[in-house]
Amino acid sequence: MPEFVRPGSPALPLDAPTFEPIGDAGLLISFGPAVDAAAARAQAIAAAIDQARPGMPAVGRPVPAHASVLVPFDPLSIALEDAIGLVRSAVVSADATLASAETGADADVVADEDRAAATAIEIPVRYGGADGPDLETVAELLGLRPADVVELHASARYRVLFLGFAPGFGYLGGLPTALVTPRRDSPRERIPAGTVAIAGEQTCVYPLAMPGGWQLIGRTDTILFDPDRPEPALLRPGASVRFVPLGR
Amino acid sequence: MTSPVFDVLEGGLLTTIQDAGRREWGHLGVPESGAADPWSLAVANLLVGNDPADAVLEMTLVGPSVAVRSDAGLTIGLAGADLGARIRGGRRLVPGRSHRLAPGEVLEIPGDIPNRPATGCRAYLAIPGGIDAPIVLGSRSTCLAAGFGGLDGRALRAGDEIAARLAAGARLNRPELVWPDPDDAEWFGGPVPVTPATLRVVAGPAPGLDTMAGMAWQVGSAADRVGVRLDGEAVPEGIGGEATTQGMPWGAVQVPADGRPIVLGADHQSTGGYRVVGVVISADLPVLGQLRPGSAVRLEAVDRTAALAALRGRREALVAGTAALRDAVGWGALIDSAGG
Repeated sequence: MPEFVRPGSPALPLDAPTFEPIGDAGLLISFGPAVDAAAARAQAIAAAIDQARPGMPAVGRPVPAHASVLVPFDPLSIALEDAIGLVRSAVVSADATLASAETGADADVVADEDRAAATAIEIPVRYGGADGPDLETVAELLGLRPADVVELHASARYRVLFLGFAPGFGYLGGLPTALVTPRRDSPRERIPAGTVAIAGEQTCVYPLAMPGGWQLIGRTDTILFDPDRPEPALLRPGASVRFVPLGR
Repeated sequence: MTSPVFDVLEGGLLTTIQDAGRREWGHLGVPESGAADPWSLAVANLLVGNDPADAVLEMTLVGPSVAVRSDAGLTIGLAGADLGARIRGGRRLVPGRSHRLAPGEVLEIPGDIPNRPATGCRAYLAIPGGIDAPIVLGSRSTCLAAGFGGLDGRALRAGDEIAARLAAGARLNRPELVWPDPDDAEWFGGPVPVTPATLRVVAGPAPGLDTMAGMAWQVGSAADRVGVRLDGEAVPEGIGGEATTQGMPWGAVQVPADGRPIVLGADHQSTGGYRVVGVVISADLPVLGQLRPGSAVRLEAVDRTAALAALRGRREALVAGTAALRDAVGWGALIDSAGG
């Protein structure tokens, strides 16, 4: 299970990254604490490395996460030091791009937020009932009515930090603090695809049927992952997400 | 051109179509997939004149029963664990070589061997031209978790058909060849581990590998393509725990807070949130794929130089083996039979 995603600070944490081998065929670029802005930096770095890959065939597709980027490489085709050198220049160019975006006026940042809001991915959800068997338990734990939980969950705007864990699974930042809930004591063996769940400071949509210990509050018919689509994953890192309650 | 080769009579415990895997989609959370023992994938393919990365059948502990459907028979390449392959009512087929099968013969892979214990976990069967399956996200491998690739993303079952991707003019019958293994005949062309098996591991990023290398481990019953749980005494407190979610490589030795390590396999999740005390070296990923539930295993800490020397050794052995197969058959004959 993924760990909590902590609410981020808006400032970009441009700590100097570290470059460490992981195993004999991987390089891990790590930086700063796991805040939302670090996830955006990981995406920018991974994109810069990916863009440079045609010129470095020994380097594999990078996997960005919360505050790190994993870069696979063929250690018999390129020395670790040379891999670090190549990747370091991609990091410099990604950070320069991020810094120039940051130096814009606050108005620009607000405009960015507005644009993200306008293009929010909307996910229609049937809350409660058989689709969200833990909704009442969650409400009781939080001292709220089930309708309040739905209202809070659906009124918040979430940000896709990165994808991982399962095909099309998005780590979403931005759960209202009033909805922070412990996991279930005993995990379920099978959670149906499309289930919307919360646990800790996080919410998610299960793209596939799988086991899990999160609190299940609703379900969507939206397909989160389809390998035959041009864009297989619905959730794009950096995108804004809104859950829309369906009438029952 | 596709050519029907087998009718599946029984699917076996977990038989899937796998190739060299899906390397470009970790950023969307897609598992790498591919053969759990990549060395045996290559050997099985080379034995029938294929590209080492072509799609094969990966069989787990108990293999399928299949009837030969092609009118002229065919040659198969077998590698990896010896799961007792035989012709029904007839001859034994050992791994590490290719075998000609006649039309109508039934190939059985029962999972046990007369007069000695089976070793290893996974056997690989290659057919000339490779197994026909659609390419999904760059690979024919089966992704069991998300149900795509291979045969509709699932394991083989009775009633399925297996077909070969044959180039125009290529034949399903190829020369019968033996994989040259100068080191150990018992390996049959696959890295079937002796007991206890040793996984060589490069330490880090989290500390603790040295402690764990001194401990005795057993492969748990929770061992599948996603990962292998190691049973033994719990790792001392302070080593395991949660960590910031990061990209995970195949072979990562994760230690959760309960102190029970998990070594990630070919179908591992692209990211994970447990501490990683080390990663199995690339040269030993085939051994990881052959660990049988219940078997003893040791972790040995090695440095990067040793890891790369071992990987270089494996690549050289593959090149040398390929050259020896060429010499045995005459490269021209192999090219001819491949339709090239």
